[in-house]
Amino acid sequence: MACTGSTTQHHRGRFPALFTLIGCLTLLSLGGCGSLHSKPPTDPDDLADYKAVNDPYEPFNRKMFNLNMWVYHKALRPIGRFWKNNIPQPIRTSVATLNETWREPAVFFSDVGAGRPRRAGDAFMRFLLNMTTAGFYDVAQYLGYKQHETDPGMVLALWGVKSGPYIFLPGFGPSSFRDAAGYAISQGLTPINYVPSGYALISFNWGYNILGTFNSFADSTDQLDQLEHQSLDPYAFMRSAWQQQRQSQIDALKADHRATTPDWY
Amino acid sequence: MMLRQLTRRTILGAASLFALVPTLAFAAPSSDEAKAFVGRFGSRLVTVLNSNVPLAKKRDALLPLLRENVDVQGIGRYCLGRYWRVATPEQQKLYLELFQDVLLNAVTARMGEYQNISFRLVESVPSPAGQKVTLQISRPHQPDVLMTAVIDGEPPKVVDLYGEGASMRMTQRSDYTTYLTRHGGQVQTLINALKHQLGRD
Repeated sequence: MACTGSTTQHHRGRFPALFTLIGCLTLLSLGGCGSLHSKPPTDPDDLADYKAVNDPYEPFNRKMFNLNMWVYHKALRPIGRFWKNNIPQPIRTSVATLNETWREPAVFFSDVGAGRPRRAGDAFMRFLLNMTTAGFYDVAQYLGYKQHETDPGMVLALWGVKSGPYIFLPGFGPSSFRDAAGYAISQGLTPINYVPSGYALISFNWGYNILGTFNSFADSTDQLDQLEHQSLDPYAFMRSAWQQQRQSQIDALKADHRATTPDWY
Repeated sequence: MMLRQLTRRTILGAASLFALVPTLAFAAPSSDEAKAFVGRFGSRLVTVLNSNVPLAKKRDALLPLLRENVDVQGIGRYCLGRYWRVATPEQQKLYLELFQDVLLNAVTARMGEYQNISFRLVESVPSPAGQKVTLQISRPHQPDVLMTAVIDGEPPKVVDLYGEGASMRMTQRSDYTTYLTRHGGQVQTLINALKHQLGRD
């Protein structure tokens, strides 16, 4: 029941989402955005709810959410279901692993930024080991280096940067001003985004981005369907689930004080 | 002097006793009790889910299990938030009946994903809401799932579930209270929406 929809920072399209993000943030920051911004209510109970959800741009966010769900029903869901129902599980797993492996440098630098050397070491080893299979197979997990997520948004939170208001952007999903900034930083830390010009590499980059996006999206279609079916206000349901999950990831990172040396040492 | 000491002792003793009374009355289960409870409830749940009977029969078997082991009334009341106070007794009763069915539907809707499953208890840690017992659920050909059940009360019952760091009852509460805020704050509107969701209008 605690469905989370599109939840983490990395499970998104890359450059198109980045452009959308920059455009929408610019729009939001221009002149207060009148009707896009909801005024604080005067009723004390309503005001308490308003502050708790931290969503002053709710009118704008709801429009974006509705647009997102419209595109989801018209195009993305059929494609996602087709992908999930017709592509064999081992291939889908490999595509997911490829995306995770190429993201490991961003995870590594985030762990370093968070001051978590053991996590950084794990991310480093995962990248090295999995790259022996070009990133397609998660061999690192069998050697004790389990996959974990750390992104610049979590690091900013650890450094005390406030989350800022909640935002929902089409193709990008639920986020906050801090996490959106973190997402932009993580794109800068992902080496695949720096491939030099050349037909093969550009093709690989596009393939990687498109396949990765579809793969993670296809995996979330069940959650989105469940969200729509079981909630009275899917927007509010997703907002609450995302905010809680994000906070729990940050809390887990704060509480991770594992010894620097591995168990076998 | 004696009287003063006695009085002070009496007062301190009485204060300690009064401090203890609520603790005794609403004692949260210990870590071992909570784990034993989750182990028993989980085993019965897994037996139902893994059985080779039609979905309708599984649903019938689940209902008494949920009533016995999940604090449906407490969760339902929590999910209505501040609107519980403004609801009439009839609305509260009807809402709780509908909420129980919504909960049952949510469980049965995902039954297909949970077949031939097994689970193991990972840890139990205390929290203000009760003992948080984490389970690792294993499913064939699918990744393991971690789920945390919050256990509280006497007899112990499930008062909340956490998946991927999100509390079920808090998320549901946000859903219901936002819906009510956007629809004039009338509890009857929520009741009608729940009836519609359950296909009973």
